[in-house]
Amino acid sequence: MKKSHPIRRVLLASAATVSGIVLLLSLKPATDSNSASAQGAAAQETAAAQESPQGGAAAAGTSTITGAATQTEYGVVQVRLTVAGGKITKAEAVQAPKGGTSDQKTALSVPKLNQEVVATQSADITSVSGATYTSGGYKKSLQSAIDKMKAAGANTAAPSQSSAAAAPAAQAKTVTGEVVSTEYGPVQVRITVAGGKITKADAVQAPSGGTSDQKTALAIPKLNQEAVAAGNANIDSVSGASYTSGGYKKSLQSALDKAGG
Amino acid sequence: MTTVYEQRKAPPVPPVPRRSPAGLVLALLWAGAAASVALWWADTGSVVGAAGWLTGAGRLAGLLCGYACAVLVGLMARVPLLERRIGSDRVARWHAMAGRYTVCLLVAHVVFILLGYAAQDRASIVHETVTVVLDYPDMLKATFGAVILFAVGITSARAARRKLSYEFWYYVHLLTYVAVFLSFFHQLSLGEQFSGRAGATDAWYALYLGVAALVLWYRILAPVRLNLRHRLRVESVHREAPGVYSVVVRGRRVHELGAEAGQFFRWRFFGEGMGWTSTPYSLSAPPRRDLLRITVKALGDHSAAIALLRPGARVWAEGPYGSMTAQRSSGQRSLLIAAGVGITPLRALFETLPGEVTLLYRARTAQDLALGAELEAIAQWRGAKVLYALNGPKGQRPSLGVRALREAVPDLAGHDVYICGPHAFAQELYGALSAAGVPDRRIHHESFEL
Repeated sequence: MKKSHPIRRVLLASAATVSGIVLLLSLKPATDSNSASAQGAAAQETAAAQESPQGGAAAAGTSTITGAATQTEYGVVQVRLTVAGGKITKAEAVQAPKGGTSDQKTALSVPKLNQEVVATQSADITSVSGATYTSGGYKKSLQSAIDKMKAAGANTAAPSQSSAAAAPAAQAKTVTGEVVSTEYGPVQVRITVAGGKITKADAVQAPSGGTSDQKTALAIPKLNQEAVAAGNANIDSVSGASYTSGGYKKSLQSALDKAGG
Repeated sequence: MTTVYEQRKAPPVPPVPRRSPAGLVLALLWAGAAASVALWWADTGSVVGAAGWLTGAGRLAGLLCGYACAVLVGLMARVPLLERRIGSDRVARWHAMAGRYTVCLLVAHVVFILLGYAAQDRASIVHETVTVVLDYPDMLKATFGAVILFAVGITSARAARRKLSYEFWYYVHLLTYVAVFLSFFHQLSLGEQFSGRAGATDAWYALYLGVAALVLWYRILAPVRLNLRHRLRVESVHREAPGVYSVVVRGRRVHELGAEAGQFFRWRFFGEGMGWTSTPYSLSAPPRRDLLRITVKALGDHSAAIALLRPGARVWAEGPYGSMTAQRSSGQRSLLIAAGVGITPLRALFETLPGEVTLLYRARTAQDLALGAELEAIAQWRGAKVLYALNGPKGQRPSLGVRALREAVPDLAGHDVYICGPHAFAQELYGALSAAGVPDRRIHHESFEL
């Protein structure tokens, strides 16, 4: 048995906790090491995005089409299709969430999704349970790839329009905006324009790491929707993610400028 | 004493002294907290600017709060190791301490995270709060959880406890389970340390599911099993002293419960005036083959209704709990000091403690001495000594200071001392015993003062 001193204990515990937390925080470096790695990842993404062939001519033979990189809560998903004779012969994920549980989920879901695509020949596939976010991202990216595939098919139907760069406004085309750096990392927007309208918008790069992951997951889908709805860069910022929104708008504007010019 | 509860005249068996696992358990609990902080450490690259500091502090507080919630529930899961080896009273005090700490961490978590996010977004705190609560996944649930947890904290504060009925406090406290459940999900969906870290997520699941399993087993299934197996019913009720009643409970093979003298059960009696909350009462005699006995002073509504219990009434018991048993004693001589109805566990120990035993019984008048005849009988049978400390003829209190104790009990410092009585009484005696040179580890006391 001992005499109890609740107040003394509470004060001691509080003081110890506060000093412990301050110590821990001060021991961490005060410069952002995240941005460098984010740049690296972003460079990869852009490379993957640009690799997508505009290959109208190849539609009859074998060609590969890479869908848009889709941001999910757990990372970027990007689908690549191999098309032969107008049919999808192979589907694979160029990018999928990595690290921690994501590795397992990706290993679990992506092969199934790939099979389904080849089986159904459409983006109308069922999500893999337990990997809803990855499945959702996969489907979006798949849809964009299939859209491209169809556009490419249209290209071959009209042989005079051989190059995508020269394609008139009636054709779908993908334009990637400039990289805009924000306080929390670079933002880069890619839009698909068809018939003078934005049919699709997505972020190739967005801030990641720390709270940024949450904010990106929260803001980017909204901004994408808004961009498609508005058809221009005059969209509302997402509250709570004003920097990302600002960067997004700038990059979107640059993409629109390119698409127009 | 009637023939219902006969004296057992077997010589007391010296127990195997066992070390309390309290130190080990505390070390484990702190190691868990350190591991939670390590999650943050491993996951955090840098802490940049005011926003970084605020969010960092918020995250650390959040991680610790999440860990503490699991510990809080675990401590109250009625795990035998905690209840019987460390002591229900001590664990309850740990729980209370950890509870205060958790509420502080909760407040720090909420305030720092919101300030940090607001600073990062250059947004107003109100705006940021609305965004976080409404737009972030699982945050609406977590907000409800936090509000409940905070309310539980408020109703448990000493000032509030005094004004609230036990039942109200108890039912609000039960909501803690809901609060912990509601706030669990945001920890995994938003916790930076858990996204994409299989190890961390699995460990967190293991912690929470482990605690849930303990609660399910020891708070629900084990009591159900006990009561189905032993089928307890009131055998008889006896008046022992003014306002003090003994209840003899019959059950099949209750000796198999392994209850020891000095321990208690939490009881629910099914009869008039009995609520659905359980009340702890100590065994006032070592268990017999089919019988248990408690002795209760009519203080509150529940204990007053005890006197009206009829033979055959159903009884629901959970236990045995408590660590103030013969295992605590480290020597050959024991001094038991009881005040009023505090005699109950000591009466049981008086019969079973091995070695040389002295009982000091404090009561207002000779009439208030409950179980007096029994004590005399035991004293005679085993050659032990009973001393009484009664008020003088003018109502003056007898002295229980250092000198009085030394005079009454030769070689006081060589005794293991068991105290049972009101908190103030115990504190006073503790002071006197310490002054008389009885070391801390040999003063045994169970106090439910938090």
